[in-house]
Amino acid sequence: MASAVPPPRRSEVLSLFRSLLRTAREFADYNIREYTKRRTIDAFRQNRDLSDPSAVSAAFSDGKSQLEVARRQAIVYSLYAPKVKSVMEIKH
Amino acid sequence: MASKHLAAAFRRTSRLRTLSTASTAAAHPLPSAEAYDDGDGISMKGVKIAGRPLYLDMQATSPLDPRVLDAMLPYNLSRYGNPHSRTHLYGWESDAAVEAARAQVAALINASPKEIVFTSGATEANNISVKGVMNFYKDKKRHIITTQTEHKCVLDSCRHLQQQGFDVTYLPVGPDGLVDLDQLRSTVRSDTGLVSVMMVNNEIGVIQPMEEIGKICKEFNVPLHTDAAQALGKIPIDVEKMNVSLMSLSGHKIYGPKGVGALYMRRRPRIRVEPQMNGGGQERGIRSGTVPTPLVVGMGAACELAMREMEYDERWINKLQERLLSGITARLDGVVVNGSTERRYVGNLNLSFAYVEGESLLMGLKEVAVSSGSACTSASLEPSYVLRALGVDEDMAHTSIRFGIGRFTTEAEIDRAIELTVNQVEKLREMSPLYEMVKEGIDIKSIQWAQH
Repeated sequence: MASAVPPPRRSEVLSLFRSLLRTAREFADYNIREYTKRRTIDAFRQNRDLSDPSAVSAAFSDGKSQLEVARRQAIVYSLYAPKVKSVMEIKH
Repeated sequence: MASKHLAAAFRRTSRLRTLSTASTAAAHPLPSAEAYDDGDGISMKGVKIAGRPLYLDMQATSPLDPRVLDAMLPYNLSRYGNPHSRTHLYGWESDAAVEAARAQVAALINASPKEIVFTSGATEANNISVKGVMNFYKDKKRHIITTQTEHKCVLDSCRHLQQQGFDVTYLPVGPDGLVDLDQLRSTVRSDTGLVSVMMVNNEIGVIQPMEEIGKICKEFNVPLHTDAAQALGKIPIDVEKMNVSLMSLSGHKIYGPKGVGALYMRRRPRIRVEPQMNGGGQERGIRSGTVPTPLVVGMGAACELAMREMEYDERWINKLQERLLSGITARLDGVVVNGSTERRYVGNLNLSFAYVEGESLLMGLKEVAVSSGSACTSASLEPSYVLRALGVDEDMAHTSIRFGIGRFTTEAEIDRAIELTVNQVEKLREMSPLYEMVKEGIDIKSIQWAQH
């Protein structure tokens, strides 16, 4: 079953990367936002040199499901965002 | 296709948000009379701050990971069945989710899912372990061994057993917070029913030598219980390697929901307990009561996440801890780390600042959410019993601050915490006559204070 799915093209991987970072920016919570950005960058960097096509496909589909989770949660967090932001977001 | 729905939903909700807050405020006024956070900053308990404090109290509790919330939500919305309902889909899907979560928790500690019992938290699991084991074997076993630095729930359960007539030995710890293995070995008696040592201490972050303690317990054939609430998902845990018979786990310390925990109970050799919650026989009769599916699913998701992210989180938290410690010690002297520096969990940094009073330090650190040495213990201003067990002087115990670093902490937060802490300590020391005397070279301990 794994061999039926072709590994993603470079453009698809880049698009997933950009979508994850864009979704990260939409989080109302400072800590979650920063974590999502950092984790995305580190995860893609770590998987950059994967050569086995099934490993690449697995990582890509894992990334896609994480993107779906992030999109849903960005909405949920924004619905309940506190009126006052974190001190880290307020100009010091 | 799903993404188009999500994008549309997002646009709708940004408009809805401005509508909903106004109407809900009118229709459902909050029980507390005044709103404490308006657009302008927060005012609560006489304190005014510009924004929500940065959170450095991960040992008290941790924020929910969005991925955990995502796993929990369906079970709060449409899949709300009782997992013990045998006759319909709602029960079946809920039960399937509970069993899947059970396997996730078990996988993190190298146990079988049949050995996991869900409880309301680590406190309940500790109660079941200590009181349940001793009451089950009460005809033959009358002695418990524990340490002076255990969590209050274990110490309180032991005290309760003492009142019932059991003997309890509270092992002292060294100045580094570690248990003396030879002392443990010499304390075991023929009627010792349980040894209880917590894996990672919640106040000082010290990691006890569980494998060696497990070996001693195996040698004497005494069951070993450990409170792993602070250790789960942060350091590798293997119940086989540690020879643990009972282990208490907590959900809300690993970015999971509050109100759920688990108890690991070894099956080979089987450890038996007397249940503390009687009822319909759920959870193999060990803990009756409806299993809270959303919470349990959340704990399972948190455990699976922890397994995947443990190494990455540790690298990040270690980096932040080093930054915090070096940032503070570079600008302040008289800073002491409480507890062993080698055998400690990286996310817990308990520091004492000499010549500074703890409460006044905390009052000046309102933009940082941290805990002090005495917070967990009681409402009184007594220094924490854990620090006292380490042999820390009263004055140093009073000024201890516990910094808890976690998965979501940022470098910027660490830098701001360093800034605020150093400024506040310097300000307080400036005002302190004791510090002046120390700078002039007077030995404080040799002062004869005049009686008025």
